[in-house]
Amino acid sequence: MQVQESKVLTLEEAVCRYVYDGCSIALGAIVSREPMAVASEIVRQKKKDLTFVNDSSVDPAELLIAAGCIRRVEDAYIWMGGVGPAHNYRRAVQEGIPHYLEIEEYSNYGISLRFMAGAMGVPFLPTKSMLGSDMVAHNPRIKVIPDPYGGKPVALVPASRPDVAFIHAQRADAEGNAQIWGMVGNDDNIARAAKAVVITCEEIVPTSEIRKIPNMTAIPSYCVSAVVKVPFCCHPLSVSGYYWLDQPFRRSFSKASKTREGVVAWIDEWVYDLKNHEEYMNKVGMDRLSKLRQMELDNYHIPTIETTG
Amino acid sequence: MSYAEKYSTSELMAAFVSRQIRNDDVVFIGIGLPLVAGVVAVATHAPKAILIYEGGGIGARTRRVPWSISDNPTTDNAIAAVPMWRVFSDMQAGYVTLGVVGGAEIDRFGNLNTTAIYGRGGSYRHPKVRLAGSGGANDIASSAGRLIIMMHLGKGKFVDRVQFLTTPGYISGPGAREEAGLKGKGPEYVVTEKCIFAFDEKTKEMYLKLLYPGVTVEEVKQLVGWDLKVAANMEKPEPPTEQQIRLMKAFDPDGSIMKTPKIAPDKWEDFDAFYELIKAAYESNHIYNSY
Repeated sequence: MQVQESKVLTLEEAVCRYVYDGCSIALGAIVSREPMAVASEIVRQKKKDLTFVNDSSVDPAELLIAAGCIRRVEDAYIWMGGVGPAHNYRRAVQEGIPHYLEIEEYSNYGISLRFMAGAMGVPFLPTKSMLGSDMVAHNPRIKVIPDPYGGKPVALVPASRPDVAFIHAQRADAEGNAQIWGMVGNDDNIARAAKAVVITCEEIVPTSEIRKIPNMTAIPSYCVSAVVKVPFCCHPLSVSGYYWLDQPFRRSFSKASKTREGVVAWIDEWVYDLKNHEEYMNKVGMDRLSKLRQMELDNYHIPTIETTG
Repeated sequence: MSYAEKYSTSELMAAFVSRQIRNDDVVFIGIGLPLVAGVVAVATHAPKAILIYEGGGIGARTRRVPWSISDNPTTDNAIAAVPMWRVFSDMQAGYVTLGVVGGAEIDRFGNLNTTAIYGRGGSYRHPKVRLAGSGGANDIASSAGRLIIMMHLGKGKFVDRVQFLTTPGYISGPGAREEAGLKGKGPEYVVTEKCIFAFDEKTKEMYLKLLYPGVTVEEVKQLVGWDLKVAANMEKPEPPTEQQIRLMKAFDPDGSIMKTPKIAPDKWEDFDAFYELIKAAYESNHIYNSY
């Protein structure tokens, strides 16, 4: 009889096993559910030369760029949305600190379709976005052709199949059936496009809970390589039904990022000097984290599913 | 309905854009001031307008303005929460009647640059100032029915030709959008903190349509990098109503979007100040129940 290994890992194990120097990586979602703890662990394990494939990214992209983990970005937007400029992205592009980045740019829909093509197993998809823009002029992988069925121009974007994707869900079972509430982003397609997928989640629940509300399963287990329970994985970013955006914390990071020395000290304090995410949570403080949770619960609850009989 | 006696230019801008939102509009809305304009419209004259956020939230009913296009409130009490590719596809297919976006640099034909300011001797690969990139702005401007742009009329920001065309206006003039294959109609207004611009129907060139109180034509012309034409009959702006201002303040409890911060700069990173302020704002306002 074949013994199946459990998919449930620790965050350290998952990053060690699935992220390797030079690989391409996608982190799911934008702002809400963007997995900050994964970015921190990648920095802690000093992964390098990564190709970061993303629609839009905020704090995690900034951290990974500042720490020198990323060599190339294929994206639509990097900024500290809602807080300020992306100081670290700017320093890398403008001054080569810590090093220059290769950039391949699309719009958010362009990137969305790249993941969708990857998820569909087709080489490209057409869109009516980006036409007439300089993204086409500076990105030879966007091809503008006349509609072959007779008609106006369309832009083609190539499929993306990242080597690994990390997607944070509110809950998943031990097999990786992942249920997402609130903003979905492109995570359904990223999970299907990536060659390996790690689901991080606030809670691991029995499969019987998943079965009660199957429409919420954005990602079925057959796409998933590993599952990691990481409460408050996205702090200082938010998770619908679990916790709010911690704007003051993001502002501190943004302020530190104004200078290279500032962000290096910040990374020492908040990443390298901490052994893991548990130490990070303790340093942020459980009182603060529980207030962020309460603020969210005052607004929005994930509906509870009652079963009869 | 009574007009406010005192108001800021941010409030005037948000009120103007809010009034452009019709009850039957499906609105794809960008980060910052557009978000305020959108929620105020829905809470006042356009209760049936449906706001769509890039993250996939459709028709949310929230107690505060989302701090990004995919912050939790973008799906709070929403009518649907769908994937990002789905909302963009809905827009490309023609369901979105109005888009509202921000910008950093704009030109005569309403093209936006949010990618890079090259600077002297600089290039796309080695710019003087790197900006965020398109995000969803290119998609909104490409495919939304009508389009409104909200941005700062700063020195050097209104140029003859953008260095990098991130988001299309009328590209190079009449017929260029159609030739490129774009589906949306192109920009209708550019709303700034000094005035509002519109586009000439024939030439597709941006012209001055409306000045705010105390602003002169000369002042605006000096900030614009082409020979700006001025409407024959310049219109006066309609001030915000007291109700609109009350809602703007309530929806932006820490004042971070309307640029009237309610937390002193030295407390900007103070979690308790943030928590107490927003908690109190939530407890004291009941907008949420009124729409």
